[in-house]
Amino acid sequence: MHIMEGFLPAKHCIAWGIASAPFVAYGLRTVTKRVREYPEQRMLIGVAAAFTFVLSALKMPSVTGSCSHPTGTGLGAILFGPAAMAPIGAVVLLFQAILLAHGGLTTLGANIFSMAIVGPFAAAAIYRLVRAARLPFGVAVFLAATLGDLLTYVTTSVQLALAFPDPVGGFWASFTKFATVFAVTQVPLAISEGFLTVIVCNALARLNPRELQEMRVATGSEQEVQA
Amino acid sequence: MLIEQSAYSNRWRQVSPAAKGLFALCGMVAVFIAKTPGIACGIALLLCLTTLVGAGVPSVRYLRVAAPALLFLAMSGATLAASLQSGPVSGMTVQLVPAGLARAAQVCGRSLGGLTALLFLALTTPLTDLIALLRRLKMPEALLDIMVLCYRMLFVFAESAHAIRVAQTARLGYGSISRSFRSLGALVAAITLQVWQRSLALHQAALARNNDGPFRFLEPSFPAAGRQLAVACSAGAGLIALAVVLP
Repeated sequence: MHIMEGFLPAKHCIAWGIASAPFVAYGLRTVTKRVREYPEQRMLIGVAAAFTFVLSALKMPSVTGSCSHPTGTGLGAILFGPAAMAPIGAVVLLFQAILLAHGGLTTLGANIFSMAIVGPFAAAAIYRLVRAARLPFGVAVFLAATLGDLLTYVTTSVQLALAFPDPVGGFWASFTKFATVFAVTQVPLAISEGFLTVIVCNALARLNPRELQEMRVATGSEQEVQA
Repeated sequence: MLIEQSAYSNRWRQVSPAAKGLFALCGMVAVFIAKTPGIACGIALLLCLTTLVGAGVPSVRYLRVAAPALLFLAMSGATLAASLQSGPVSGMTVQLVPAGLARAAQVCGRSLGGLTALLFLALTTPLTDLIALLRRLKMPEALLDIMVLCYRMLFVFAESAHAIRVAQTARLGYGSISRSFRSLGALVAAITLQVWQRSLALHQAALARNNDGPFRFLEPSFPAAGRQLAVACSAGAGLIALAVVLP
């Protein structure tokens, strides 16, 4: 759910940019630290960004007939960790703005906040919680991907409602409006993406790749993929 | 990718990216300070014409590139114009109020202007030039490295996704909804593995060439950059002046 170029007022653009910057900086620091420990992962984040970009351009089979694309936030958070997703998402969103005219440069901060920060952190937290509750791996992946997507879209609705409170009903009326209008496309998308992510993770577990074991990626969550 | 094709083949390919970036930036500023939706739309029209006539981007391609954003604008614009009210008798009702309409018009004008400014930059400037420009503007090296790698690898992944998709389709992998999900899952899993394989291969290739720092490339030179910057600066100032002066 990208907010388009010029849609948010200037003050909101700046505020969301300031809110996103520390997360991106923290993510970059985490990544740099990890590379110092495992130099062979030096190229990983850049390649992962390209992967996320291509993933978001794939067409998902849709039941409703509308054209939908996965966001990759859930899968990315499980594979690369939520902290690394902030810089990855920032670059992917910038590329989407320039190469596909999805989203925009002035709304980059707001889009990073909803899609590269809230989504991945929520997905990772939900994944951990569900695994801690000893529920099956598939359920954890499904809930992480689906709820991560849903929270992303709720965040976008909040951003729009904060920028444009309803002249009569205020923030909540505006939030209800935006959330309802975008639910038509976003709720089926979140559910399809949940299913897709489960299938992907199961396939990864079945392939049981040597590379993933050798490189000990994403510390911990990856062992679960193979388990 | 349609935007890429234009970025490399338009008439202003050899114009300095700093000049094009400055003009797009001025366009954005002008749109944001425009007082009425009409002025914002006028600036949008000017930016659009600059891209079509000046840079020679085909108009059909321009429309196809702008279509998804325009769809978002139509949906959100309508949402902005309508107002939800909860009455004591009738429950929730949808109304059109003048304040909502005025605001929707203002936001739509600004978004159209912003979109045309973004498209001007995107359709005339290849990403490699933009990355070189960001490097000169002192963007953090770590982010630039991610961008360079991402841009180079994205075509590799796109091609391999396409090849897998063709092979799957040839075997009726997308014949029904459930099969489509299974095929797409297998496709994504296969590409996910390539992330590690390719990043390891790239690392080894870089080590073999004694590279363990940032990626450096020869930057393209733009001999007429000074003159072009001056032209872009005055054109951009003109746009901003229009936004300020017009009532």
